[in-house]
Amino acid sequence: MKSNYASKWILQRVTALILIPLTFWFIYQCISFQSMSYGEIIYFFQSYINSFLFLIMMTAMMIHAKLGCETIVQDYVTSASSIKTLKVIINFITLMSLLLSLFAIVKIGIL
Amino acid sequence: MIDNRPLSPHLSIHKKILTATFSIFHRITGIALSIGSVLISTWIFLIALGPKYFLFFEIIAASIVFKIILFFWTLGIFYHTFNGVRYLFWSYGLGMDLKTVYNSGYLTLLLTVLATLFVWMF
Repeated sequence: MKSNYASKWILQRVTALILIPLTFWFIYQCISFQSMSYGEIIYFFQSYINSFLFLIMMTAMMIHAKLGCETIVQDYVTSASSIKTLKVIINFITLMSLLLSLFAIVKIGIL
Repeated sequence: MIDNRPLSPHLSIHKKILTATFSIFHRITGIALSIGSVLISTWIFLIALGPKYFLFFEIIAASIVFKIILFFWTLGIFYHTFNGVRYLFWSYGLGMDLKTVYNSGYLTLLLTVLATLFVWMF
């Protein structure tokens, strides 16, 4: 256990702060997505500001989710080997999701 | 060693305390929102793949089950955000006296309900 828990604690709160305004931004956008066509959504994400904000949100969200889920696993799972396995799974899923979003934004940007 | 370790409090035999309930719900919504964040990635990925793939999402999105999930998603995100702000203040040692802890808890619930209703009024 070489992890630096103090810096993880701080990172969890820094990502939380970043997510507060972006959460409200994304919910607001989601309301308008509902009445948008496919082309309009593509157009929305071709804007650099929108794709930038979306990627910042996804990055902060995935770090926040990873740290949060890890803490929960540590608190409620007693077996050390299970904790290790679950952490690997959490890391894999959050990293893959982030890469998926990054790939998508880049692909939409160069369409 | 594992046999001797002190166990965490058995949730079922304790009197339900508001602060503990808030904490548990923060964690439950946290897990749910984590799953949700993976779905957001899937959503943007389907958009990037093209209109044929996005149609798949649109069919699911038209169902009433999706709308119900979306409603609870809104409830969860607002709860987690407002309660999270409360925890951020606590990280600075602010608002930690019992009266403020309870009042900010009630405020969290009020804001969560109001924000969710506001979003679904649209």
